[in-house]
Amino acid sequence: MTSSPAAGTFILDGRQVEFHEGESVLAAARRQAIDIPSLCYDDRLEAFGGCRLCAVSVKGVNGFPASCTTQAQPDMEIETRTPELDDLRRTLLAMVVSENGSERLAVDPLRGLASQELQEAVVELKPDLDRFKGATSGSSRSDDANPFILRDYDLCISCYRCVRVCAEQEGDYAITVAGRGFGTHISVEFNGHLRDSSCTFCGQCVQTCPTGALADRKAMRFAQIEDPVESPSKKRKRS
Amino acid sequence: MYSDSQLIELAAQQPAPFLWLLDQFHRRDDRLTPDAMRAIASGLRMPLADVYGTATFYHHLALGNGNRSEPRVCTGPVCRLQGSEQWLADCTDAHSMACAGRCDIPVPVLQGDSTHRLTGNSLEPTAKGPMPVPNPDGLPECIFEHIRQPDQATYDGYAARDGFQALEEAFDTGPDRLLQTLDDSGLAGRGGAGFPTGRKWRSVREAPGSPKTIVCNADEGEPGCFKDRAILEYDPYAVLEGMILAAFATEAELGFIYLRYEYPELQIQLEEALTACRKANLLGPSNRLGSDFDIHIRRGAGAYVCGEEGSLLNSLEGKHPFPRNRPPFPVTHGYLQKPTVVNNVETLAAVPHILRHGAGWYRNLGRGELAGTKVISVSGDVQRPGNYEVPFGFPLSELLYEWAGGPPSGSNFQAASMAGLSGGFLSANDFDVTLDEPSLRSRNSMLGAAGIIVYDDTRDMVDETRVAIEFFAEESCGKCFPCRIGSRRLRERLDAVGPDTDRDEWLDDVNDLGRVMRNLSACGLGVAASFVSDSLVRNFPDQLEQRFEAPE
Repeated sequence: MTSSPAAGTFILDGRQVEFHEGESVLAAARRQAIDIPSLCYDDRLEAFGGCRLCAVSVKGVNGFPASCTTQAQPDMEIETRTPELDDLRRTLLAMVVSENGSERLAVDPLRGLASQELQEAVVELKPDLDRFKGATSGSSRSDDANPFILRDYDLCISCYRCVRVCAEQEGDYAITVAGRGFGTHISVEFNGHLRDSSCTFCGQCVQTCPTGALADRKAMRFAQIEDPVESPSKKRKRS
Repeated sequence: MYSDSQLIELAAQQPAPFLWLLDQFHRRDDRLTPDAMRAIASGLRMPLADVYGTATFYHHLALGNGNRSEPRVCTGPVCRLQGSEQWLADCTDAHSMACAGRCDIPVPVLQGDSTHRLTGNSLEPTAKGPMPVPNPDGLPECIFEHIRQPDQATYDGYAARDGFQALEEAFDTGPDRLLQTLDDSGLAGRGGAGFPTGRKWRSVREAPGSPKTIVCNADEGEPGCFKDRAILEYDPYAVLEGMILAAFATEAELGFIYLRYEYPELQIQLEEALTACRKANLLGPSNRLGSDFDIHIRRGAGAYVCGEEGSLLNSLEGKHPFPRNRPPFPVTHGYLQKPTVVNNVETLAAVPHILRHGAGWYRNLGRGELAGTKVISVSGDVQRPGNYEVPFGFPLSELLYEWAGGPPSGSNFQAASMAGLSGGFLSANDFDVTLDEPSLRSRNSMLGAAGIIVYDDTRDMVDETRVAIEFFAEESCGKCFPCRIGSRRLRERLDAVGPDTDRDEWLDDVNDLGRVMRNLSACGLGVAASFVSDSLVRNFPDQLEQRFEAPE
């Protein structure tokens, strides 16, 4: 939180950066408008460390830890962009794109607040889009006919932000991670429909989804009407 | 037979109730029904969606199709060498299971709670695996010191051969002396990670927070590894004494043995051993440690990744068994976020021997600067598969040719897997290594949990690599992107090796996928998969090349 006092400084890409007590490298960087790519991060949620796009190089540490789960320490020296990291990240993002194919990367922004994140990462890192083309992982639930949330899991990249926001922010625990590995999918109990679960249709999952795999059906419906907020009186005046 | 509410009531009286309940309902109903999941959710106040999601993670739970009692046939790498896949294909109601830890007596078939061995067309019960044979050089052993005594697996037999003597001494001399001896001995984690045991125990002792917990990791899931099974079958009290010593040293109040699903006979045997220790007042309320320390067995439900300590702890807690982000480490934030020792079976079994004989004795069992011994599971195309305890630094060739009897007659060794599958494949040209991490690391491999699967020159290493990658893809948990996607893409590439595939592109892809998995995966599983694919490219280029060439 910006109000808490700085606990120290560390070095990020040669710059001295302040951090708060217990803050992650990623959070400290983002607070100061230094972007480290990520797809599974949402600053309201506990850091998950799933997508690994936010991997950084830490002086004196082997490998590339995820910056979202790495606590900033005084005098830590961190590089977010090295040729090796850029290359690893670009290859990893190509792998992510391959999960659902590259055809539907650009989705309607009305789907949700974060729905452009994957597309933005692709624009920034420019991965080879079709390199790892193969089996796709998601499977949309067109059978779930609720009027609010479109479950278009063909676009899902298994970051579990929806599952986590449902538990951590909303306390509904309506959805979960089911299955394992490449076959993991988002599900309510017994693979059923949202309306039969403890979902309250709060829409938090929609707003944190980075690919538009969850979408706001209401917003998209309204967009199809020419002037969705036109009032009856306005209509009368016009005619 | 217990009713739902009786089971819930029983579960409420014990720690880690979720796994226990899964197992109980699964046994009672021969599958895990939606009603059982509803009962567990309401009984443990867990979200139903999470109970369902977590249950779907585990291989062995019969959720929809099939029942618990239907046969599960091992299709691990060693059993496939015996043709287990073909047998499975011929059998209608059987399911496949990942390596079941009986590579010394292939092919195991698990039916409910009993294991059978399939050879030819006959199916025979095999409760226990073979006893480790003495090494031909007569080298002194630590773990196997008493294991061949016929009554070693009984309380009286164990006690008769200085069993619990280390514990008695520790009661006299105190935890500091004990920890010092462990430090001096050089004992380190034998599950493969190699963290110094004394340091781990001391960290838990010094960490604030209680109750502290001791977890014995008996989720031996690495293909080609069956050493923990043998230790628990033939010398279970050594492991229990190790755990009790750990509890004494760290003032822990809670203990678990996390036992893999595929060792059901061991669960019964271990329950008996625990009862005997309670009778001797070494466990349970107001015991001789001056605590209420007790040990509970929790049965896994089929998930390789649960051998990773973070996943294991999440599994024990009834959470989705994803690995945890580190730091913090289990020594400060383990079971229920309290200080926790997680040790492999073999590590714990070594402790009483070390305390009895002294740090110097143990240290000197290793060759040169290397301290102690390692139990190695040898299987595959070799005359005498089995578990062998070698000094660290022992030559691999001596183990394979002299101790294990060399290749089957008429063939030659071609390759050997290391660390189960996790270290990839060494070619026979590399058999001049010694069995220790520095030597194996220098060949881009590792000793790890020390399973060695041997392949003779009739085997196709491209196929064996595909089998290995298939395993990792199947067991990838789904948490981190590099492993979840990478293991799948590697598998697809191994499936596609052939004249219709562009060789250079294939190599580039495999190399890059491996690099991302090795550098960015969240746990060792993704790293291991990359070791395997890299080893094919590096050590068996000719076989790979042949596959890309058009058939004549």
